[in-house]
Amino acid sequence: MPRTPRALGAALLSAALLTSLTACGEDDGSAGTATSGSSSEASSTASSGAASSSAPADDAKVIDIAIKDGDVSPSGDRIEVKRGQTVELKVTADSEGEIHVHSDPEQELAYKEGEQTFSLAIERPGVVAVEDHALDKVIVQLEVR
Amino acid sequence: MTSPLATAHAVAASAIGSTVGSDTVQAHGIGGQADLPIPLTLAISGAVAALVVSFTVLVVAWRRPRYELAGGGTVRATVGVGSGSALDPGLDPGLDAPAVDAEHEDAVLRRRAGRPAPAVLDRVVGSHGFHLAARALGLALAVFTAVCAIFGSDDLNNPFFGIFYVWLWVGLIFASALLGPVWRAISPVRTINAVIARLADSDPDRGLLTYPERLGHWPAALGLFAFVWLELAYAYPTDLGPVRLWCAVYFAVMLVGGALFGNRFYELGDPFEVYSGLIAKLSPWARVDGRLVLRSPLANLATIVPRPGLVAVVAVLFGSTAFDSFRESSFWVKTYQDASVSKVLLDNLALVGFCLTAGVLLAVGSALTRGGGSVARRELPGRYAHSIVPIILGYILAHYLTLWVDVGTQTLARVSDPLSTGANLFGTAGLTPSYWFSYHPTLLATIKVLAVVIGHVVAAVAAHDRALALLPRREQIVGQLPMLFIMVAFTGGGLYLLFNA
Repeated sequence: MPRTPRALGAALLSAALLTSLTACGEDDGSAGTATSGSSSEASSTASSGAASSSAPADDAKVIDIAIKDGDVSPSGDRIEVKRGQTVELKVTADSEGEIHVHSDPEQELAYKEGEQTFSLAIERPGVVAVEDHALDKVIVQLEVR
Repeated sequence: MTSPLATAHAVAASAIGSTVGSDTVQAHGIGGQADLPIPLTLAISGAVAALVVSFTVLVVAWRRPRYELAGGGTVRATVGVGSGSALDPGLDPGLDAPAVDAEHEDAVLRRRAGRPAPAVLDRVVGSHGFHLAARALGLALAVFTAVCAIFGSDDLNNPFFGIFYVWLWVGLIFASALLGPVWRAISPVRTINAVIARLADSDPDRGLLTYPERLGHWPAALGLFAFVWLELAYAYPTDLGPVRLWCAVYFAVMLVGGALFGNRFYELGDPFEVYSGLIAKLSPWARVDGRLVLRSPLANLATIVPRPGLVAVVAVLFGSTAFDSFRESSFWVKTYQDASVSKVLLDNLALVGFCLTAGVLLAVGSALTRGGGSVARRELPGRYAHSIVPIILGYILAHYLTLWVDVGTQTLARVSDPLSTGANLFGTAGLTPSYWFSYHPTLLATIKVLAVVIGHVVAAVAAHDRALALLPRREQIVGQLPMLFIMVAFTGGGLYLLFNA
């Protein structure tokens, strides 16, 4: 009887090791550079309409968004971006509306009919939904790493 | 972290920072920032670990039940009518059943008796004063919550939502795993029932009728499903009106049930008490013959009574949490956005589907283990249901950890200003979540996988011990395989959902 709890313990330990070993193998790039969590992690520099003439940053992630006839494109795609990377939402819409970025704090970007570009950057790792508010549709999910 | 409450981050922050100047934003299911998916390597190593440990337990672990009397004798007495080997012609009880011997029985009883807790602790928590204090605390929280629900604002600055979806649903479970059956001690419906009984000069334990044992945990299973339906499948889970109505119906049903059946109704039928009570079986605390004892969670777990509806309770808890993971996956979002029918309909179907799948898998897996002795095949799912509880706790921890820490903190800030008047009643209004886990994603993912794998290991051991008591001796290894496979399926499925979140 005494050997069995020990055998179980060994099994448990091996399970813990198996999982934690692979965990150590991962590169935790964020661990050292974590910034403190102020309530304004996501910096938004939304510029709408014709005013967006500034040149896009070199490493910006550009996402082309079409909003037409009550549908959005892309529709629920997962897109990977880096922490702090500039994300440019190029919106082409057939009517006015509002895009909600469910980061913290939430960002609300009002768009008009026609073409416009919004740029934003998200500092906190996680998954952030970008939705069309009135249509209640997810355009993309930003996977911030 | 995919509760609708996640949107709470966003609304609070925008209100505080005035970046938007609007706090009328309504949640619509998706929102807030969710956890990153766990890395594939971690998911796979977690699943491999679960598989390896399962078979290790099967082959290496003890051969005689440590927490059960042979033949399932300890639980047989508590099961009502309907058991009988005559229904299962494949059995030959007596010939195969493990021999009962006094020494073994003593050892099992010793493990079940546990170790006495420090006398002071026993005296304090067993005292009338402590009992009253817990009741007062529960009632105060309920009254506070009711004030928020009735007079608070209809947006996520109202702490009502955080209290309901995070403190109650998640916090209660963590508290029960650490401290024992917390809801039973603080349950406001028990308190109100006791007060009514006292005023009427009657006994709160007894109602007008005797609780029909055939009902078992079914009222609790229905109540738990009603909760997860409101949170996950209803169109407006963060509108004040419907959530308030849900709470009102809960109170009404509980008070009527208490009047009809007495406290027995709460013990078996109150969804929160049943949930809290099941998870409490993973804590080291128990009362044995009136004394507070510390004992192995495995010994504690083995004392869960297989009542009607237990399988349904377990299926709803596991299935709904799995669905909560699933519903924000890119796959599901694309599916419902491209579908011609509404999201709400699909969510409802999927929620029911997840719960049913969990229940059917458990039922099939345990029914396929060969019954032994006096236990009919159709009773086996109930006999093995207790072993799913550790899987549920592990998965709840993995799934809700950041929600608990972040939105739990936020709720603590909001309770200081329950009516959105700028008050700071408890001095916590300035608290903001640090989102610490978000910045340590590898650590977070490792904690999640460890929680799931440890839950699986405890589950496998609990099922093994029960199987030894139920299976004929010559089938003790092979007979366990079906149950073992469904556990690996639950754990693998859970890890897959965390990977695909």
